[in-house]
Amino acid sequence: MNPRPLRVALAVPVLAIGFGTASAAARAGPGAPLCAQAASAHHAGIVVELGNAQVVRQCVGFDTATVTALDVLKASGIEYATATYGGLGVAVCQIDNEPASYTECLPASGSYWVFFISRGGGAWANSSQGVSNTTVGDGDDVGFRYDPLAGADPPPVSPAGTCATATPTPTPTPTSKPTSPPTPKPTPAGTAPPGGTSSSTPPPQGTKQPAPTQTSGVEPIAAGGPTTTPGAGQPSSDGSAAHVSDLAPAAAVSSPFTPGLLLAALAVIALLALLGAQGIRRRHR
Amino acid sequence: MNARALALWSLSGVTIALSTGSPVYRALVLLCALNVLLAFRRPGVSLRGLLIALGVAAAIAMATTTLASHTGDHAFLMLPGGIPVIGGPLTLEAAVFGASTGLGIAAAVLAAAPLSLVLQPHALVDALPGALARTGAAIGTALNLIPGIARSATEIRDAQRMRGWRSRRVREWPDLAVPVVLTALEGSITLAEAMEARGYGSGVRTHYSEQGWRSTDLIVAVVAVAAAAVFVAFRVTGAIADWYPFPDLSWPAVGVAGVLCCLALLTPVLVWRR
Repeated sequence: MNPRPLRVALAVPVLAIGFGTASAAARAGPGAPLCAQAASAHHAGIVVELGNAQVVRQCVGFDTATVTALDVLKASGIEYATATYGGLGVAVCQIDNEPASYTECLPASGSYWVFFISRGGGAWANSSQGVSNTTVGDGDDVGFRYDPLAGADPPPVSPAGTCATATPTPTPTPTSKPTSPPTPKPTPAGTAPPGGTSSSTPPPQGTKQPAPTQTSGVEPIAAGGPTTTPGAGQPSSDGSAAHVSDLAPAAAVSSPFTPGLLLAALAVIALLALLGAQGIRRRHR
Repeated sequence: MNARALALWSLSGVTIALSTGSPVYRALVLLCALNVLLAFRRPGVSLRGLLIALGVAAAIAMATTTLASHTGDHAFLMLPGGIPVIGGPLTLEAAVFGASTGLGIAAAVLAAAPLSLVLQPHALVDALPGALARTGAAIGTALNLIPGIARSATEIRDAQRMRGWRSRRVREWPDLAVPVVLTALEGSITLAEAMEARGYGSGVRTHYSEQGWRSTDLIVAVVAVAAAAVFVAFRVTGAIADWYPFPDLSWPAVGVAGVLCCLALLTPVLVWRR
């Protein structure tokens, strides 16, 4: 039995699988352009509990199926700094200038930012990956708590209500009846809602990201930028702290069955088939 | 096949297997290495013993991690907390992490196994750089003495038993150990004299036949080294995500580039003639 045809016969499907899936992944490319409107298809909340127990809440809108937690943090407009931890992704070292300075992002002894995820309004859970590797979808929440490393180690305050008022502003319906003009809500000076300018590229290691500036296409639901809620408190019931930002396209996908995983599964099958073929051929000899 | 090309391939396989915690990449490296071993193992060499040993090593790694690591959200068994080390919840996450560790060990060992199961020992020593030729010969000789000493110990034990010796107490062990050591020393001296008689150490190591680099050898070496370099670079930059099952079990993130790097280890099966 001439082994060459068998080898070629086995090589062709393996290569075909590899190139086929790679080209499929390449075609998928970055996500479709995001709608730069406040009336985004999906929303995710972000809850930041500072060291002094103050709570910052934001609601972020996006049009892709999922985005990374880092994208949510970027789009929230809250100041932050990150450091890269290899394959685990990016860790958050500083939020809202807390700590004011640091030499080590996750110090062995000392306070640092702990990252939580809440799926679909559920309880907070620690994430096994960094913010750049963790994806969130519609209804999820991203939480950060500055752990003082003293006393209890609770998660942040409940994410409930963070996106409660993050609904699209209804389009005024023309009416023949005269109506009184809407009363504008007081807007704090210089607190333009952030968003729009965030890049999907994670910040370089150890870099500090100032709050992005307001650009076109961002439509706040409620006035106010990143709002600080005093006290370890309850979610803001009036929604004054919630607004919608837009996100840059995220390459993340929600399903675990990514092109890479599918390619890996096909490769495992092909390699097992190759093993079987070699065993059969050896037995025939 | 060129021994140096195969050594580079082995090094690349071990590098990829040990530079990631993802069980997917490790499984791919393991399967590629198994394919290479099956295709090119020396006639008469059986993989049965190696595979059994790897299975035992992986099982031990999994059991140890499951029993000693009590981290994770999904506990499937609660051992009494009073038991030292293993007391506490046994979690699914720890078991999966242990299995992944075992998979990594098996993949790394199988990637290195062709050096002993495919190549002839002299070909491996020949493949060493000139500066390491003597060191390699010494290490190879020392490793070859280990099974010889084991055989010698068995023979001496049987001979002692025929004389009525029984190893009931520790202080009777010298009756076996002393002859074994003396026999090993005698064997070493005999080997040294034989090597000297053949001119070992009198000059540069000579070869009956030089192993050249063919185009297929170059392809294997270049592809393997490039795959390992790209994989490590992507791991360092975070383009290939690592996997960590704690605190909650999750699917490993698998990238197309990482999978292709692992599949590149199949090159020897595709280009080398058997």
